[in-house]
Amino acid sequence: FYLSCRTFACRAFVKYTALLREETFLKRNPLRKTQRRLFNAKHTCLESDALPIVHHVKYISDLPENHRFPMGKFPKVLECLLRDQVITDKQVWAPKIASKELLGCVHTEEYLANFIGGKISEKDQRRTGFPWSAGLVQRCRYETGGTVLAGEISLQKGLACSTAGGTHHAFPGYSSGFCLLNDLAVAARHLMGDSTSRKKILIVDLDVHQGDGTALIFKEEPDVFTFSMHCGKNFPLQKQKSDLDISVEDGTEDKEYLSKVQEHLPWLLDTFHPDLVLYDAGVDPHREDELGRLRLTDQGLYQRDLYVLQTVIKKGIPVATVIGGGYSRDIDRLAQRHSIIHRAASKVWREYGL
Amino acid sequence: MDTSSDEADDWFIDSLNTYKDLHVFQLEHPTKVIEWTGDKRICVAGYTGARSEILELLLPLKLYAGDNQGLCAERDFKVQHGGFSEEPVECLIHIPETRFVVTSGGSSPALQIWDIGGDDSDVIKRTGVINPKSTSAKCGKIASGLTENPTVLHGSYTSDVQLTELATGRVLYTVGNESSDLVSGLQFVNACVFLICTSNGALLMGDIRDPLTCHYPLKESMSGLHWCFGLRTSSSQSDPSLCTIARLSSSGHMVLSDLRDLQNPFCQTQLNVQHSSAKNEFLIVSWASVLDSCLSVSGFDGTVQVYNTRNWSTEAQTPQPVFSHRGHDMSYEAKCSGSRPVVTTHAWHPSRPNTLLSAATDGSVHVWDWVDKTTDT
Repeated sequence: FYLSCRTFACRAFVKYTALLREETFLKRNPLRKTQRRLFNAKHTCLESDALPIVHHVKYISDLPENHRFPMGKFPKVLECLLRDQVITDKQVWAPKIASKELLGCVHTEEYLANFIGGKISEKDQRRTGFPWSAGLVQRCRYETGGTVLAGEISLQKGLACSTAGGTHHAFPGYSSGFCLLNDLAVAARHLMGDSTSRKKILIVDLDVHQGDGTALIFKEEPDVFTFSMHCGKNFPLQKQKSDLDISVEDGTEDKEYLSKVQEHLPWLLDTFHPDLVLYDAGVDPHREDELGRLRLTDQGLYQRDLYVLQTVIKKGIPVATVIGGGYSRDIDRLAQRHSIIHRAASKVWREYGL
Repeated sequence: MDTSSDEADDWFIDSLNTYKDLHVFQLEHPTKVIEWTGDKRICVAGYTGARSEILELLLPLKLYAGDNQGLCAERDFKVQHGGFSEEPVECLIHIPETRFVVTSGGSSPALQIWDIGGDDSDVIKRTGVINPKSTSAKCGKIASGLTENPTVLHGSYTSDVQLTELATGRVLYTVGNESSDLVSGLQFVNACVFLICTSNGALLMGDIRDPLTCHYPLKESMSGLHWCFGLRTSSSQSDPSLCTIARLSSSGHMVLSDLRDLQNPFCQTQLNVQHSSAKNEFLIVSWASVLDSCLSVSGFDGTVQVYNTRNWSTEAQTPQPVFSHRGHDMSYEAKCSGSRPVVTTHAWHPSRPNTLLSAATDGSVHVWDWVDKTTDT
């Protein structure tokens, strides 16, 4: 009798804690429980109670041979997560392609017309780093759709991860540095909602390059806070002003890097009170990255991601992640590195009973 | 800063496609020498200030990783050995098959001999001095002899060029030339034959078995210009037809000659360079070690220009470079300091076809592997 009382009490406690968490989420995200939220998804996994992963086969397109952009990494990230049994395909959502209307809330009409219609000048294509193709347009739109969907899911489930995203060098009227559409900006604008039920969004961009496009887009927007921590000497030399820019020295290692994140993230959350965090978990601060100039290790990236996710989730704030930048000619190792965020997210998902 | 950092950002994105590899290193003090001391090692030395550091650097191992980039994390230059010279180093040459380098600099023609050292020590030690009898106050140019017995050919004026045996300091040969032209460069073609290029563009050819030298001045002498030269030798050193000499003037005038007929150059052309900014001391023309007919030029500004001379005719056209390395101009440091660096020296990799090293006045050292976009046409 005593034992069954204890188990009963245990179960009740667990149920109570779960309810408490759910309540916290619902308090922050007042959705009518009975109404299913409209997701911008081609394929949903509403029944799954595992960490939602957002992926689309059309995240990739063909590039000329020997092109430096590691396009092959997107499907490989998913493959490596499935192979290592971190996830199953039952938790993989697929986004809808980002519509022109959706993109239009960040990008100019002229730019979108040129971009979709293939009228980007030779000079502009060079700054982008990609030769224009219809396949390229499509993959960028799916990638943006993926980030939007991850944001939508996270608002309901607390946490969601895309296997792409982080195209932060895209500006409203032009593209740069392998970024043609600013997925984080589009997602933030879309998820902010209208003026009656405004949400506040914090964009945490830990890619080794400054999130210059995102910084400019939200310069005058009080409800979106852009935080970028990057290596000062990396591209772009011409920096924009994020709401908070932390410039890090060449050669910075795990410990110092993490301590800088720890220095800023908590007070940001406590003072800005975001309703959602969009996290760019770029792996280019890694020592093996060909373009970054920092010296983080795999472990360092993992600790960073764990820290960010735990700190945000602990405060009951939902977070959606994108993989951000990473450059290496060894695509397998690179994909493995990009999967660190998903592994950290899986751990946090379990830990916090999301 | 805005348009120029925009330009640098454009260049950076472009560089991802135009270079196969690009590694950047920052020295505390700039160097005007880059000399190969091994397959993966170079020697650099300071020339600003009295106490100059000589360093032997190991090239980033990532450069050699090829497709196995993941196996190699090391993308930095590493200092293997270092030493101090009491004088600025103007010239530095490596004696092949040894761990010795010879330097010259400062305001005397004396040469210093250094032992770079092996695995047991990381100190570069001075092991000897060569004091030529010359009374000039200028430091000399140096070239390594190509005989088994280590020797160096050196001098600051054509009248004082001599061949000295390293081990003993014995003078084995002196150039018996009365005229006293300033030497801008010298090099051995094979074990016995050597060439001297003077500052006014003339070539002197000599043989260490023969006291007389032959003098080949330029047909049209252009006063006020400084000339330097680059020698292309083939692997079979005895075949003179494969020995081409390029002479470059501080105004960008280029003269190509064949060793068989130094009197009559087979090609003359004018490169598109900014004349006024030429710093004579940094002017360099260098033939590619592997690629046929390719040569490179630097010293006019912050770039290294690579040309393919195959289709150069004898008419004075303005040839276009097949590649232009602008990394020194486009670096973060260059953009922030506001002053434009000048490339002080550059060198081709001895065996990798498209790999070069370059250094600039801001202390930067780059190793780069460029993509030849013209091979398809």
